[in-house]
Amino acid sequence: MRKLFVAFIYTILVRPWLTFFIGVSFHNVKHLRDAEQFIIVANHNSHFDTVSIMAALPSELRKNTCAVASGDYFGKSSLTVSLMKLFFNAILITKKVKPGELSNLEVLDQRIKEGKSLIMFPEGSRGNPGTISSFKKGIAKLLKENPSVPFIPVYLDGFGRVLPKNKILIVPLICKVRFGSPLFATTNDTRTTLEEVKKEILNLKKKNERDRNQFEFY
Amino acid sequence: MDIFGYYIPIELLFILCAVFGVLIICSSIFGIISLKNKSDSISELVIRTNSWWKMAIGITVVATAPAIIGTIVLAYVVFVALREMLSIIPLRTADRTVLVASYIAIPIQFYLAYKNYYYLFQIFIPLVMFISVSVILVLTGETNRIGRSMAIIPTTLMLTVYMPSHMVLLFHVSVPGFTVGAGGLIIFLIMITAFNDIFQFTWGKLLGKRKILPRISPNKTWVGFIGGVFTSGVLGGALSFLTPLDYINCFYIGLSLSIIGFIGDSIISAVKRDLKIKDTDDLIPGHGGAMDRLDSIVLTTPTFYHLLLFFIEN
Repeated sequence: MRKLFVAFIYTILVRPWLTFFIGVSFHNVKHLRDAEQFIIVANHNSHFDTVSIMAALPSELRKNTCAVASGDYFGKSSLTVSLMKLFFNAILITKKVKPGELSNLEVLDQRIKEGKSLIMFPEGSRGNPGTISSFKKGIAKLLKENPSVPFIPVYLDGFGRVLPKNKILIVPLICKVRFGSPLFATTNDTRTTLEEVKKEILNLKKKNERDRNQFEFY
Repeated sequence: MDIFGYYIPIELLFILCAVFGVLIICSSIFGIISLKNKSDSISELVIRTNSWWKMAIGITVVATAPAIIGTIVLAYVVFVALREMLSIIPLRTADRTVLVASYIAIPIQFYLAYKNYYYLFQIFIPLVMFISVSVILVLTGETNRIGRSMAIIPTTLMLTVYMPSHMVLLFHVSVPGFTVGAGGLIIFLIMITAFNDIFQFTWGKLLGKRKILPRISPNKTWVGFIGGVFTSGVLGGALSFLTPLDYINCFYIGLSLSIIGFIGDSIISAVKRDLKIKDTDDLIPGHGGAMDRLDSIVLTTPTFYHLLLFFIEN
């Protein structure tokens, strides 16, 4: 019932609202067709990033996909926590793990072993608009631990202008969610894998295309 | 003629049948060719024709449905066009509040047009929004490059909202003895504008040599322009049964719309060249963005409205 409700909300409300009002378009969603389990890695500019990726997924994949989010940011009130869990199956990770509990990496690893897919933003936070800051190592370690799980690079274009960091006003402007094809890490080396993931995300950006995640591009 | 309880004038039915007939012929020809020849140019033509189908259906809805539905569809199209323009022009983070105000201007402008509050309609964007944009920008307090935003946002509003909103006013044109109604006027305007693009392109491809605007759009030639203007004039005269005017006046309207359509096309081309983009978006497969399609119609709509009123009164 709960899953049906969430699927209903996404198809009836979220997706039409994103495409017809905000101006989000989804590109190459067909790459997800044969994927069963995956880790989606994307650049992070806005709160809209998770919503849009979730809305792009087919509903049978969506209910199996968890978004990794910051517990320090979203864990402040119980309402946001339950909403995040309901709509994004969110796994909230905190910077300071209490002694005796599983580390963040172990939590995520466990979820992958359970068969869940993940949405991760290796930049950590939404960062500065228009720039891709350095990636955190976690994604590379997860890929190393789970060699059978591919990563899907996603380039998010324009969300940094629709709802930038520290802003409340949502402005409809054209945004694109570009999916890449599922790929496996070629090496075990953490740093090389990170470089690879970053390169694959940037490859999805079209050549000579202006970065639309920021305003001041002139 | 009554179709499912809906009254559709016979002239309108005739022209819609002609348009969809041409589309069916095009689709079947390209479909048969693409079965044998799978080249890129053929699949491009198929994609373009499929997009024309969707646009033709949209135009039919606007022309035949009640005025309120037509107004809402047009307002949404204008919203998409404005969103597209605001996504490509250079702006600042501080401009986001003004962008929301610009979006709110669309329902207001279309409401004024729908209610035929002509005076308010004429002053809302050129005067009220022009000042409001500057005031909101000043209140935001970010002065770095504020002048650019003060200039560029009202211009975009004029081009993408004010100009095409004149189409809604066509719903209020009433002439004694004229039975085709606003649908015929809208179809006339859109057909002249769309075919003018095709005529100018075809004349230019066939005979064109001397470029008319070499630095803005190298594909446009003098022969294409002049040939397009006269062919559009002839088409205007031929379609005069959709309007309350005689064929001489429709010929003049065809000529003017062709010239103005060329200007609108060139304005958007120049802006795109400045921003170093080829298409404004990839919304309509094979055509580019909404603004790539609407580039000539934004200027021909007010021209047509005012010329129509002028010829009706004189």
